Amino acid sequence: MRFLSGIVLTVIFAAGSTTPAKEKEGPPQFKTAEAKHFAQAEGVELSPAFSDYFYAELRAELKKAKMAEDVIGEGEAVDDADAPKSLVIVGTITEYKKGSVVKSALIGLGAGWQSLKMDADVQRRGDKQNLCTIHVHTKIDPRWDEKLMAKMAAQQLVKHMKEELKSQPK
Amino acid sequence: MTPPKRILCQVLAVLFVLSPKANAGGEDPKPTPENTISVKLAEAVPAQKFAKPPKFWITDVTDRSGNPQPMLVMKARGGIFLDRQPTAVLREALEQSLKAAELLATDATTADLAVRVYIFKFGLAEGSQLDFFGKVEFTAVVKNPQTGESVEVKATGTSIVKGAVRKKNLQANVQEDIEEALKDGVRNFLRGQQLKDAVTALQKTSEQAPAGVQPQSH
Repeated sequence: MRFLSGIVLTVIFAAGSTTPAKEKEGPPQFKTAEAKHFAQAEGVELSPAFSDYFYAELRAELKKAKMAEDVIGEGEAVDDADAPKSLVIVGTITEYKKGSVVKSALIGLGAGWQSLKMDADVQRRGDKQNLCTIHVHTKIDPRWDEKLMAKMAAQQLVKHMKEELKSQPK
Repeated sequence: MTPPKRILCQVLAVLFVLSPKANAGGEDPKPTPENTISVKLAEAVPAQKFAKPPKFWITDVTDRSGNPQPMLVMKARGGIFLDRQPTAVLREALEQSLKAAELLATDATTADLAVRVYIFKFGLAEGSQLDFFGKVEFTAVVKNPQTGESVEVKATGTSIVKGAVRKKNLQANVQEDIEEALKDGVRNFLRGQQLKDAVTALQKTSEQAPAGVQPQSH
């Protein structure tokens, strides 16, 4: 029995060592990335704390994604030499629907959920050229905290951004 | 379980629930060495380069957060306290970073620019239930003592770290979160375009001021 389990363990370790290692990530694609507070379109009723929280979440997600060497705060100065390889993310929350607990409970299947839509422009810092525009639509249960929606929106935004900017030169 | 034992257990459970210690959660937590954290910068934050590096002097740091208990960071779970006032923590962080960048004057009289800081938020802000949202927000009024002119510079630092269940981890995460937010806030101030513009504007007015102008005492 012990011999058998020893063989199994050896096979597992051998398999682990022969599986291709996780693709090594090279240096970050950009020097700096700056996220700005997103503006709210007319009619969007979200608490002021939401905007701050989303900004913080977006920065946290950008750090996790390792797209830039440095994720700087809003309004921080960047060296002129780094500007062509730096990003600025500006955006607007275009729509927010509070949702309905009653609809969600009676109908289910996503009916009555809170919904958030936002558009973000990713610009190159040096010449303000728009590198990509990202549309994010997040929906969550109306009983959940709106901050969870901010978290999900930030994750989605950074994920899309990473995909869109893959083709950009390093 | 026999009926008498079951009754005994039920009575004990009721007594525990009604005991004063069990209801202690409703009372204000008190600072103890176990629930106190020390927040400070691990290392100085590098400041931006100025064309003509000025010498700053931090005259005063005032708490304008309106928080009656500024040292109480978190009320739940027996509370988490800071070991010092946020004003002292921020002052130390700013001075440490300015000193490292050789931008700190030795005293108020030798300073080119005096800085008065107002704290609006220091600690944890309302986040999602899953994590801790640290926030440090302050405004610095940068003043040229020679001309009396001043410019406001705003800075914000944020940080998000994951939540925790165990008290020990909770405290460590909260400490890490606030330290990160503090670092971010100091960095936002020292590397901000607003500070750069303020210094340029104040130095310009200082150069333009007639030679006869006497320094004002503030």
